[in-house]
Amino acid sequence: METLTLLAQGFAVAATPENLMIALIGCFLGTVVGLLPGLGPINGVAILLPIAFAMKLPPESALILLCAVYAGCEYGGRISAILLNVPGDAGAVMTTLDGYPLAKKGLAGPALSMSAVASFTGAMVATLGIVAFAPLLAEWAIAFGPAEYFVLMVLALSCLGGLVGDSLPKAMIACLIGLLLSTVGIDSNSGVYRFTFDMLHLADGIPFIVIVIGLFAVSEILLMLQGLHANPEPIALSGRMMFNLKEFMLAKWTMLRSAVAGFFIGVLPGAGATIASAMCYASERRMAGKDHQFGEGDMRGVAAPEAANNASANGSLVPMLTLGVPGSGTTAVMMGALTLYNITPGPTLFQDQPVIVWGLIASLFIANVMLLVMNIPLIRVFVKFLSIPVWLLVPGVAAISMVGVYAVHGNTFDLIVGVLVGALGYALRVMNFPIAPFILGFVLGDMMEQNLRRALSISDGEIGVLFSSPIAIGLWVAAIAMLVGPRVARMLDSRRAVAQA
Amino acid sequence: MSERIFGGVLVLISLVGLFIARGFEAPFSYEPVGPKAFPMIVLALLGLFALALVFGKTEKTAWAPGPVMQRIGLLFLVVLGYALLFDRLGFVIATALVTLPVARLFGASWKQALASGVGLGIGLFYFFDRLLDVALPTGLWLNAITG
Repeated sequence: METLTLLAQGFAVAATPENLMIALIGCFLGTVVGLLPGLGPINGVAILLPIAFAMKLPPESALILLCAVYAGCEYGGRISAILLNVPGDAGAVMTTLDGYPLAKKGLAGPALSMSAVASFTGAMVATLGIVAFAPLLAEWAIAFGPAEYFVLMVLALSCLGGLVGDSLPKAMIACLIGLLLSTVGIDSNSGVYRFTFDMLHLADGIPFIVIVIGLFAVSEILLMLQGLHANPEPIALSGRMMFNLKEFMLAKWTMLRSAVAGFFIGVLPGAGATIASAMCYASERRMAGKDHQFGEGDMRGVAAPEAANNASANGSLVPMLTLGVPGSGTTAVMMGALTLYNITPGPTLFQDQPVIVWGLIASLFIANVMLLVMNIPLIRVFVKFLSIPVWLLVPGVAAISMVGVYAVHGNTFDLIVGVLVGALGYALRVMNFPIAPFILGFVLGDMMEQNLRRALSISDGEIGVLFSSPIAIGLWVAAIAMLVGPRVARMLDSRRAVAQA
Repeated sequence: MSERIFGGVLVLISLVGLFIARGFEAPFSYEPVGPKAFPMIVLALLGLFALALVFGKTEKTAWAPGPVMQRIGLLFLVVLGYALLFDRLGFVIATALVTLPVARLFGASWKQALASGVGLGIGLFYFFDRLLDVALPTGLWLNAITG
């Protein structure tokens, strides 16, 4: 009951005219960013975050904007997947498998509307999941002391390190570089200057926005030039736009199953939209038995990955909101946005900032209804954006990124650091280093160090405090299992495959 | 090979970093863990994993072919120039100047590049500075004219 009251208050926040307008703009921009190949949710959120901050939006409005963009991107990714056979973002890779064949058969319209409904189902199920589970998790986590907190962050980093990318040293190096960069600047406890090299601009540390823009905008531009090739012509929309009842009945359980599974996969730190959509696609294909056209244009083949993808994107907000520990690169950027407003995410967020949390949840409901409305009747508008030439897009992204960084302190130094971080990010990405652990390490670095020091202050330097409570021990075990487990499983898998062959 | 070289660089960075971090001493302190412990743990771990990268199994890095790499290098220099000139020349001029080569690198014709440069420079300035109230540099030259 209490939850419903709070949710109603959330709707009161989200439904003010300004916030509705902001959500609408965010949904539109998000869908456009999502459908542009090369730009995904993380780039969209990264580029728009500094703008929202520079516009001096209040925190709840800024967060509503970012969440609407995030939700919109997950809808947009499918458009280019279906019409171009190029996934607009990583979560839409699986959608190309059946979406493009459907479009070639002349069923682009039904495929787009079906995937929009699937996206909506996934997002709604996941938002309901947030309402149901997040307050419980937050209440449980409120008993965490600094020691448990420290271990929890170790767990988050190791989840991401274990699941993302193919090499453990690479994931760890990316994460440690992030942690190292977070220590630059004055140490707030002792006033000691760390790694500032007598540069005044580094005294406050490297601004979060500079790192984000460097990693996700500048490096993206460089990569876009590397991957530059003529995009195929999008398949023209013709024929009927809506799916029919038969198609809906075929896909309805697929959607629901994938939505529920996607939500729980999304809640796990590290496992994001990509893993969720791949797993749900594979299991739906297996469950379909013999009577299917998966791979050649099956409606269920667009419904499953899109429902899962959107559900997991929303589900990954749960660990960020309740524990203050983001489970993906995009939510790490959003959490960084909260800290820009001096709001510390964590279990107390639900008590201290009910306006922000419940306003955000309510705005997810509103944004998804908006997105459904935008994405079915207005789909032709979005298709037009597929023909934005890349030579106009890239300078535009560069200019907007510079505006965002410049808005923080208004100095050239930050701009240069951003470009240099971009070059580092480019080199890392070409060498197949995962970038999500980098940004997560940077975002969590300060909190990790503070909690470690606080825990050891309480125990007067006794290291044992980190392993003393059952929760902490459980988290350590989980952290090691997440780091090593997926790789051991993969190794066993490949060995079994070899033995069979 | 590039991964091993990069790993070697990281090992060096971690050694130098450890040497620097050793000097982080708080003038007076009430806590058992001072300012140097956390960076030193991070640096030590970084060094270890970088060693694993140097001596472990690596894959061949797929760098872009030479001519593409040159263009990427050029793009990097242009963006770096953008950062340097952004404040000095002001948003409109810097953006127009930078858009020209960037658009050309991405395959625009001279005409398209010129048009998008002028369009982006003026359009985005108006959009951010006037409409959204995000202050952008106008550049020293404009200050001289408008006083």
